[in-house]
Amino acid sequence: MAKILIIDDDPDITESMRIILESCRHSVKLAKNGEEGLKEAAAAKYDLVILDVMMETMSKGFEVARALKGVPANAKTPILLLTAIKESTGLDFETEAGDKDWLPVDSYLEKPLKPNELLVKVESLLRK
Amino acid sequence: MNSSSKSSRCSASSAAPPAAAEGLAESLYWLIRLRWFAVAGIFFTALLARQWLGLRLPYGAVLAVAAALGGCNFLLLAYLDRARAAAGPGLARVTNRLANAQIPLDLLCLTALVHLTGGVENPFSYYFVFHMIIASVLLSRRASYLQAAFALLLYLLLAGLEYTGAWPHYCAASSPGLCLRGDLLHLLGSCAAFGTTLFIAVYMASSISHKLRQKEAHLRAANEQLREKDKIKSNYVLRVTHDIKEHLAAIQACLDPVLHGVTGPVPPAQESLIKRSYERTGKLMVFVKALLEITRIKLSRKMEAADFSLRRTAESAVNHVLESAAAKNIKLTWAVNAGVDEVRGSQIYIEETIAGFLANAVKYTPEGGSVDLTIGDAGASVLIRVKDTGMGIPADELPRIFEEFFRARNAKAAERTGTGLGLSIAREVALRHKGRVWVESEEGKGSVFYFALPRAAA
Repeated sequence: MAKILIIDDDPDITESMRIILESCRHSVKLAKNGEEGLKEAAAAKYDLVILDVMMETMSKGFEVARALKGVPANAKTPILLLTAIKESTGLDFETEAGDKDWLPVDSYLEKPLKPNELLVKVESLLRK
Repeated sequence: MNSSSKSSRCSASSAAPPAAAEGLAESLYWLIRLRWFAVAGIFFTALLARQWLGLRLPYGAVLAVAAALGGCNFLLLAYLDRARAAAGPGLARVTNRLANAQIPLDLLCLTALVHLTGGVENPFSYYFVFHMIIASVLLSRRASYLQAAFALLLYLLLAGLEYTGAWPHYCAASSPGLCLRGDLLHLLGSCAAFGTTLFIAVYMASSISHKLRQKEAHLRAANEQLREKDKIKSNYVLRVTHDIKEHLAAIQACLDPVLHGVTGPVPPAQESLIKRSYERTGKLMVFVKALLEITRIKLSRKMEAADFSLRRTAESAVNHVLESAAAKNIKLTWAVNAGVDEVRGSQIYIEETIAGFLANAVKYTPEGGSVDLTIGDAGASVLIRVKDTGMGIPADELPRIFEEFFRARNAKAAERTGTGLGLSIAREVALRHKGRVWVESEEGKGSVFYFALPRAAA
């Protein structure tokens, strides 16, 4: 069982993820925007952060990722990025290529999410 | 593009913008081509006059003028080719200079020829009018009148020098008694008629040309407005489609856990309905994604380009359809010819285009058929070809097959769903790479889709 923080402004998608993750007995905390997510991350220690790219602005998720990893306590917390267009990240997750300082995330999932893909990805990140 | 529309972009007095300079360069090439015909015409007419009409003229000098005209034309061509190859802002200067210089050159040659073949009574004197029309089309109104004045000056000099005996007069009449050179009244009448003809020709041709230029300017402005409005529309489509996609993604995200039993077992009747809803949202999602993609491509001026291996891209595209081809027992073959590998362009979009062609081929080919992908060398381009033994496209619908949302009637009958956007995306991708796509097809026998991709277009 892991503590997972989901930062996404779409309540339906976060609710769906919460149900999927809780079905595997993970403890899930929801944050509906970047600021709320950063506050939550500062208040408690999480094993994984699931972060949507597009929230208030097109690249809000990128800013939040940088802010999260910038805090020493969260530096090792893996971040799973949710994106509709993986090319927009400028990273190649298969080859580990790209500017990790600009976008310090550990993996990504393309929307729309599939329950199995989400669970496989979450488990693999938690094992790291 | 016709010569008048080209000319309307041209101005002799100011440096033309790059597109206009390119248009003027095209007109100059046209003039150079015409001049080759003129040189050949002089040789042929001289031969005719000597062999068949028996006129006594200085043929050596006539042929020398023709040779000089040909030589100058060759130099003009070389100069224009060089300027065009160098491109840049210098092209506008060169084309303007050449446009203004070519016509006086022609007028000088024509005056020499008229002098050598009968002087003012030579009926070919009226060929000066052609140059006035060309000047009116290519040059500004002021420059055209200057050319007319220059032509008239040459004609008056010719008439005056021949009349006073300063230059010899070569009589082209069958009998020397018919020569009119010594008839002052006729000479003055000829000069007056010649001069007024030139100026009237310039007035008429430049007026028409001016109106055409104005019309083209209006059309260009209207076209620009349409482009701007199309951009606004595309931005609107992009926003709306993106919103729709977000809602669809949320619907799918909510249906997914239910359908996969995450929330507990689902009774069969409910499961069937949820499954149907899920599949329909999936189809809508495919459509929305395609619409988003084509709108994004249209809004982007150019695609991110990089060098990449076409062989690996083709392999990856083939992998997309391996499963569906195997399910229909379709023989899927592919080959990349030797010497064709590294190209420059947007790898993602090119792979998607090839995969799209292959997916269509597999989709519309009956069980047991074949689909073949070959990538070969076509000089400055590589030619990507996808051939199938499928249902083909009705001949009357072929010209519309790359239009947005268009689907051939036999394709619609066979497969109810389909976005009608895949081939439009392929066309946009090809255009962004300065390439092109086309299709050859016979209904009931199969289709061959082509994508000519310039090696270093992007």
